[in-house]
Amino acid sequence: MLERFIQAIFTDDAGAESQAETRERLKGSFAPGATRRMTQLGLVVGAALNKLEPTADDTLVYASTFAESRSLESYLDSFPAASPTLFQTSIHPSGAQQALIGRQRSLGEVFSHSGVDQMPAQSLLTAMLAPAGRVLLCGGEEHGDWLVNYYSAQDRTFGYALALTREPGPAPLGRLALLPTEQPGALKQSQWFDLLHQRRALDGPIALGWRLQLSWS
Amino acid sequence: MAGPIASETVLLKACDCLTPFGGSVETLTALLSGERALQTQPVLGREGGDLVPLALLPGRALDETAPPSWLAQVRALLAPVNEAGWGTARRPVFVTSSNFGAGSLYAYRRSGDAAHMGYGALVNCVGWLRQQLGWQENVTIFSHACVSAHLGLLQASRVLQAGLADEALVFSFDFLSPFVSGGFNALKILNADFPAPYQARATGSIGLGDGAGYAVLSRTSGDFAIVAQSMYNEMHHFTANQPNGAGFEACLAPLASQAAGRRLWLKGHGTGTLDAGRMESGAFAKVFAGAPLVGWKGSLGHTLGSCGLVELALALAAIRHGRTPGTIGSAAPTFTAEVAIDAFANDRYDGVVCASNAFGGAHAALLLSHA
Repeated sequence: MLERFIQAIFTDDAGAESQAETRERLKGSFAPGATRRMTQLGLVVGAALNKLEPTADDTLVYASTFAESRSLESYLDSFPAASPTLFQTSIHPSGAQQALIGRQRSLGEVFSHSGVDQMPAQSLLTAMLAPAGRVLLCGGEEHGDWLVNYYSAQDRTFGYALALTREPGPAPLGRLALLPTEQPGALKQSQWFDLLHQRRALDGPIALGWRLQLSWS
Repeated sequence: MAGPIASETVLLKACDCLTPFGGSVETLTALLSGERALQTQPVLGREGGDLVPLALLPGRALDETAPPSWLAQVRALLAPVNEAGWGTARRPVFVTSSNFGAGSLYAYRRSGDAAHMGYGALVNCVGWLRQQLGWQENVTIFSHACVSAHLGLLQASRVLQAGLADEALVFSFDFLSPFVSGGFNALKILNADFPAPYQARATGSIGLGDGAGYAVLSRTSGDFAIVAQSMYNEMHHFTANQPNGAGFEACLAPLASQAAGRRLWLKGHGTGTLDAGRMESGAFAKVFAGAPLVGWKGSLGHTLGSCGLVELALALAAIRHGRTPGTIGSAAPTFTAEVAIDAFANDRYDGVVCASNAFGGAHAALLLSHA
């Protein structure tokens, strides 16, 4: 059965908070000076992820529909003198990497997902098929600017990180199970985040072929 | 510390690639002839800039069109396997890339033409591609810089091994634009020199190339197998590896036990940068002592997130043909004695390790062999 138990969860609903406000609020979660080049998404995801104390034996699954939208916008506007720093954070989803590089935390497997309606289910499937004893499932979005007008960035900022295990252990916080279904379904990243942030249960289709059971202890 | 390993075998039912030379057969022929697809071109396309080595599909400009100019070639590449039914529950698609539609985003921002935005951001680009190729919605997207294709191969393998799919299509594409060439130029690892992978010289350089590839994975059908896959992420620095090269070895070492008893040749990442080339070739020589090492980015350029799949298709074609192209663009002295400058017969080998590396010290490798 595709089932995992939530051993820890941290969420951050930064909403319309500015990048500077987020940096100020979360700077204590990172080494001194480390936040200077971090994106807003890197800050919210990284702060949540750091609380899980990643280890080399963990598998990391990272999910973001739009990734570093602000970096992308700023990088595009840096031409013709392209910014090397913004290139690094806009060419690929780097939110989780920013935090882990800051702490020099190597890992074996890292899966970086993107997508829309199917992505939460797919990232859960990746987490559940990973052989590691503990899987860290994290993700989030950051508020974009002009890209929002083209459905190419999120209109709010949020981040989450969960520690998942195969066995329930003495005090699991919740349970996740994926079951096959014929019913059509879709679950966007923001809806998935709201379920986690508000600790709401769900039993229903969330993607082609998959039904999610999410329950809380 | 060694990374984990996925050791359940999956079969390659079909696999091919697209480069400026054509498909895998045409590209192999060109590589065996020592041809170089890279040509120096202005880094910002029509806006000019420094001359840097780029390998573009024939007739394709660096500046993106609307719709993207590469669609026809992608359709042709996938035509042999793109029958109806991909993207359904039992026939998932795994799309991987580093660039996705970045060229369209750049074109929009520089021109103001909103027509580009339908293909621009990552999810818009894949959504459009899915419609064009007739795929249903079971499309998983991975983006992890230059090891992206390996993520698709590994997760597709796990989905198959878990019995959750009958076959899986892994597709990867990366087409150049000023977005990416300008970025690498800003990082000062592009210059007017052509890359010389694994060559000990004063200054390193890389080239960039258009590329796409696919693999149809199956549990029951195919004459070649991905025997094992490995991944390791240093998380040391965005654009530099741990100076002792430990990350390269941590990724390769788990494959050694799976490869025990096999005579191997090695297809490395080999972009042409000096530090990474020295560390990578050193790790290969340590883990697979004596096995010949080649890299093909001196001809094709770095096809970024797609390089793992493009070069897998070429490795497969090389085995079928019986000859492995050498490390085009390079000459002695090389970092290790195992670097093969010239092409060689591969019929006495029974497997190849294919490796890729990426930003953030990400490493991925797989072992390909006859089924």
